[in-house]
Amino acid sequence: MSTSTAALLAGLVLLLPLLGSALCGLLGPVLGRRFVNLAGTLSIAGAFAVTLVIFAEILGAASGHQSVTVTFWNWLNLGSGSNLNVDVSVTLDQLSVLMLLVITGVGLLIHVYSVGYMEHDEGVARFFSYMNFFIFSMVLLVLAANLIILIIGWAAVALSSYLLIGFWYERTSAVVAARKAMITQIIGDVALVIAAFLLFLNVRTVPPTCPPNLVCALPGVFPQHLYTLSIPQILTHASSLGAGSPLITLICILLAVGAFAKSAQFPLHTWLPDAMEGPTPVSALIHAATMVTAGVYLIARFHALFDIAPIAAGMVACVGMGTAIMAGFIALTQQDIKRVIAYSTMSQIGLMIFAVGIGAYAAGMYQFLLHAFFKALLFLAAGNVIHAVHDEQDIREMGGLQSRMRVTAISFLVGSLALAGFLFAGMFSKEDLLGFGLLNGPGTPALYIVGIVVNVLTGLYAFRLYGKTFTGEPRSEAARHAHEAPSVMLWPVVILAGLSAVAGWILQWPVAFGPHLINTFLSPVFTSSGSGPIAKAPGLDLGLVGFGIGVGCSLVGIGFGVFIWWRRALNPAPFFALPGVRLIPQLSRHKLYFDEIYDWTLVRPTRALAKGVRKVGDPVMDSWIKGVSGVASDFSAVFRTLQSGLIRDYASYMVFFAVAFTVAVMIAAGLVK
Amino acid sequence: MLSQAMFPWILLTAAYLFSLGALGVLIRRNPLVVFMSIELMLNAVNLALVGYSSFLSSEEGQVFAFMVIVVAAAEVVVGLGLLTRVFSIGRELDVDDLDELKR
Repeated sequence: MSTSTAALLAGLVLLLPLLGSALCGLLGPVLGRRFVNLAGTLSIAGAFAVTLVIFAEILGAASGHQSVTVTFWNWLNLGSGSNLNVDVSVTLDQLSVLMLLVITGVGLLIHVYSVGYMEHDEGVARFFSYMNFFIFSMVLLVLAANLIILIIGWAAVALSSYLLIGFWYERTSAVVAARKAMITQIIGDVALVIAAFLLFLNVRTVPPTCPPNLVCALPGVFPQHLYTLSIPQILTHASSLGAGSPLITLICILLAVGAFAKSAQFPLHTWLPDAMEGPTPVSALIHAATMVTAGVYLIARFHALFDIAPIAAGMVACVGMGTAIMAGFIALTQQDIKRVIAYSTMSQIGLMIFAVGIGAYAAGMYQFLLHAFFKALLFLAAGNVIHAVHDEQDIREMGGLQSRMRVTAISFLVGSLALAGFLFAGMFSKEDLLGFGLLNGPGTPALYIVGIVVNVLTGLYAFRLYGKTFTGEPRSEAARHAHEAPSVMLWPVVILAGLSAVAGWILQWPVAFGPHLINTFLSPVFTSSGSGPIAKAPGLDLGLVGFGIGVGCSLVGIGFGVFIWWRRALNPAPFFALPGVRLIPQLSRHKLYFDEIYDWTLVRPTRALAKGVRKVGDPVMDSWIKGVSGVASDFSAVFRTLQSGLIRDYASYMVFFAVAFTVAVMIAAGLVK
Repeated sequence: MLSQAMFPWILLTAAYLFSLGALGVLIRRNPLVVFMSIELMLNAVNLALVGYSSFLSSEEGQVFAFMVIVVAAAEVVVGLGLLTRVFSIGRELDVDDLDELKR
């Protein structure tokens, strides 16, 4: 792919959603709903078409020429030594195009769905404007070839997430949730910015001839960029940070904190369930398929750093797996259909984070791709359900929808199976990354066992959700009169169900249980920096055994789920009523008390501190300020009387001072003794 | 051509007229009289300028005197315009009564 072609394509895929956002936002309220629906979806369709062209170009390019970095213009250049040089530049490579395919492809389906979902909403122009802007920011984030551009995209997706969670701003809970998401994201933003500073200060692009802090480090001595903000350069020269040094560990931990905040990982995960206050298409697009996986992308993008920071990478893997099991545990007892899916998202992203933490980058991205399909599917199908039962989200008020919404129910079942990891999408990606963890990760047998437990939990909560929502007798009037959604909301769901069903099989096609196509496709990205190819180890037998164990555990979970909540052949209630065991469901129901813990350790102390400072500080500050103003006021009281408003008074002051000045000059000149 | 010996007397006359004008501005309450007093002050200054011009054999002082006359004329136009407005809204013509500047 030539640079000019790449520049054109990247420019188009960036500008189309931005244009759509501007059109919907500025002209939408004037030109009406039809125009907004058309402009909002066509812009994303255009972006998806361009993405397909990029994908074809990369597939067609000779090996070694698949990654192209385009500089649009030089944004900021301080000094001739170009110490600080910010280019507006983008990278098109296999990793970014895979992200682009999901962002614009799944994004397009969700935009089409939104046409139906937002049919009766007044703010449809605002909605599509925000959604298009989100696609633009997300594209900017994954294409960025420069730390500053990356940070801009990173912050812009947080902004669009904030705007869309709080879309129904007349609901207090939505506004509070939006604020919570924003504040948590800011923690990650700060960590990411500090990491960027450290990278800028410490990555040396000309190390052999110039040790740090020597004369040649002065600006202008070396024409090459000694310091750099360019991501490809940072990755190439990552070794100048020193493998395993405290510095690179610190940088990687900061990057990981950024990723955790964005991807709702422990301990920055509490915002994601609350983010379900937004419209359901938003949950599907931002809080399942794309934005929350940006953390996975970030770590995969900076793989060259994590490769040489084993401590940080190990921490990432542990946090990922910890979040996976924690979220799976909480998902078991939640009663809000969207919150269950939100916790399952958190859990699945935990697995992705685990994968990139142990160096299985391609496996992580594989899981990202398939997860985007089945999770968007689950959310959109849940949206149909919520629509059908008149905006009720509590699964205790549902039930029996299977016969009333056949297409949605079957799609949801496909999604649940894919999520649980049996037959469909999730089976391949999850067993892939777990198997890799067992074979290649350091000290991972323990984590592998946790992963197996996550599989069981996933099957359980997925089929609890399906059973309670779709089977049995309807438990409310609204559920009894539920109707299937209109076709504009069914087609995206059906397409996503098809993708979830076949994508795993197709990508696995050429060599059963061998390296999948995503691995083959992405391996140039992850090998260029010297880290090993992310293929399954040659021990195929163990791979198969691992596969069997994983699927078996999923089946156990699914089986229990089906028996308890669908067939109702088992009732776990007596077991959990036993003393000692009773605590377990209670912990799960209260989300392990994280909100309460944060409330008591962070929110309340801060409030108390603010209150205390106010109590102590207010009188002090008041006395200072009143003192200052008192002095000024007393001082001016003397002169205030001079301003009488009478012209004759003013004239006499003028005369007096004119005479006084003259006399003073005469005295100074010695004319008057 | 005035004799050099007369120069101090010219300055003294100018100073006398200026003080007279200033006193008039300060103690009279009728704005018209105040205006006349201001004119007196300006003309005192003109006299001093012309006197210096003669004493120093330079035309610049006289040019300045003309400038002062022009400015004085403009000021009278504005001032009398203000006075007629004040009078037309039924206010008493008394400078002590016109103290709105304070408010």
